[in-house]
Amino acid sequence: MSTHSDRTEGTEPAWVLVTRREVVSRITDKSFLLGTVLMVVLLVGFIGFSAWQDEKTETVTLGATPDAVAMASAIVDGAPEVDDQVKVTLVELDDDAAAEAALHEDEVDAWLHPVDGGWELTSESSEQDALTDVARTVVRQQVLADNAAGAGTTVEQLEAGSAVSTAFLRGDAEKAAVAEAVGFVFVFLFYFAALIFGMQLASSVIEEKQSRIVEIIAAAIPLRHLLAGKVLGNTALALIQLLVYLVVGLVGLSFTSYKSYVPALSGPTAWFIGFFLAGFIALACLWAVAGSLASRTEDLQATSTPLTMLMLVMFFGGLSLDGRSQVIASFIPPVSAVVMPKRILAGGVEWWEPLVALGLLAVFAAVTVAVGERLYRRALLQTGGRVGLRQAWSAAE
Amino acid sequence: MLEIRELTRRFGADTAVDRVSFEVPAGQMTGFVGANGAGKTTTMRMVMGVLGIDEGEVHWQGSPITRLDRRTFGYMPEERGLYPKQPILDQLVYVAQLKGMSRVEARRQVQELLERFGLGERTKDHLEKLSLGNQQRVQIIASVLPKPAALVLDEPFSGLDPLAVDSMVDLLREYTRDGIPVLFSSHQLDLVERLCDRLVVLAHGRRVAAGTVSELRGAGVPRFRLVLGGDAGWVRDQSGLDVLDLDGTTALVEVHTDGAEQHLIAEATRRGDVHEFVRVRPALSEIYREATA
Repeated sequence: MSTHSDRTEGTEPAWVLVTRREVVSRITDKSFLLGTVLMVVLLVGFIGFSAWQDEKTETVTLGATPDAVAMASAIVDGAPEVDDQVKVTLVELDDDAAAEAALHEDEVDAWLHPVDGGWELTSESSEQDALTDVARTVVRQQVLADNAAGAGTTVEQLEAGSAVSTAFLRGDAEKAAVAEAVGFVFVFLFYFAALIFGMQLASSVIEEKQSRIVEIIAAAIPLRHLLAGKVLGNTALALIQLLVYLVVGLVGLSFTSYKSYVPALSGPTAWFIGFFLAGFIALACLWAVAGSLASRTEDLQATSTPLTMLMLVMFFGGLSLDGRSQVIASFIPPVSAVVMPKRILAGGVEWWEPLVALGLLAVFAAVTVAVGERLYRRALLQTGGRVGLRQAWSAAE
Repeated sequence: MLEIRELTRRFGADTAVDRVSFEVPAGQMTGFVGANGAGKTTTMRMVMGVLGIDEGEVHWQGSPITRLDRRTFGYMPEERGLYPKQPILDQLVYVAQLKGMSRVEARRQVQELLERFGLGERTKDHLEKLSLGNQQRVQIIASVLPKPAALVLDEPFSGLDPLAVDSMVDLLREYTRDGIPVLFSSHQLDLVERLCDRLVVLAHGRRVAAGTVSELRGAGVPRFRLVLGGDAGWVRDQSGLDVLDLDGTTALVEVHTDGAEQHLIAEATRRGDVHEFVRVRPALSEIYREATA
């Protein structure tokens, strides 16, 4: 954001310089790049695999001896209705011995034959899940129809009034499942980014403190600018990474059978980015404080414990809260950063609710920035051992 | 001129720096010596505004120092490292930009200084890949960017080999020639004696001695060494002086009464040959030991 007058002097505000260094030094770091690429590959691979799973049809061969051919034919015909991803072909076999031989030779995947009080589906050693489901349904329908006819009635009459159908006041079952899954992804992405980038931020603060380059910087620019630059730089990096993942995820999703949900997901995703931004900035300042309190990398474990606890609370809170507690948590920062986007996904949120939650989160971020700045400034130049929170707060500069 | 006036800093009940005053005149090298924990680093950090001042003031060119003044100072902190995993050119340009230089100008100056210190070929190397001596050179460059108005260097020579010390000294001399005040701390008294125009000695947070090297060496009770042709035992009977050491024909005396040395030499020539009669000025290390004892 260099104005014209800045440029004529040839200098930029200090925080811009710090931000740029944070971003450039990280983005040219091989492990960061490799991690991001690996994550994208995993994401694409996972989506591709599920899409392939969705599309493929399973072909099974069903063997039947003469006494079971009628029933087996019914299964072959009924299969597409029960499960459109299962295709059954019939192999007629002479007798039980031939059937067992065919199973051993892998000529058939399963063998259908009548037993006392029903039917049995024999396979070599692995269960034929898809075929079993189809066979159960078809056999049941068939036998039920025969029995009903024997009793002088019909299946429809027997089943009359027994149906229990499901209905949702908002959305439908599949939509709820998609919302649940995407909600999990949101919570996970936030947790993942806040932890990885937070740790990175804290250790870069320690690096500067330990090497005393911070004294050179402190003599040249206000420490406020250093903190602002570091927080903004890491926020920018986390946001870039998040956007890459979200875009890959949504584009990937549009190649699967869930593609009809993509337009509906973009609204909640935009909200999520907003909540991510405010939540991340709030936490980033705290991570910087955790770094400034430590005097060596080994101290970070101790100084960041309260923060890692908070992250876990956010993670599990985001995943497990529901009902009234979810509604309450969706307004309480910083947990609201993950809970509100989840509620938005599930639907049924009044238009003002996300705005209020985001406003509260922004206020919280402003408070942590102010408090964090004071602690950071005072703890950063203290040398010799870990600095306590109270000590940092009240220390003279 | 950089003036330090009655600087005081306490850490809890401990007074690390106790009403310390001294001056760093323009164009002069001022050496800052004292034992570990004497308060040198704390004083320098207060001068640079990195540490708060409890009492006292720092003045620059006659008025209280400001942040913008300090921004023009070159500073080398005690422990160093810069960024281990960043190419040296990039991080030096970064430091120079933080101090207000434009990117282009910073690059030009950094390149020039790197070449001067024999690191022109290694601009893309990460700092951690350099030898310790070379890392120190990079640190020095970081402190003199951009051309500083004053230099405050905490132990700039520690870890340098003799050649690197020489090129560092040459560089510092260039700055003092241009009228820049230089304050540096060191444990190496021989180096301080060789380099410094002035000296400030700190002990337990207090200034115990300050002045030019010859002032310090000339201060105190005058001492003389007398070497005779015959036995020097009679010197003990002379009035107005103390005999510090007597070894056959040689005597080392401390003169307490003005003119007593004149009586001594007169008596010596009356008694026989005088091979040597000379004023003995204590070495810096002796002054230092006495002042900090």
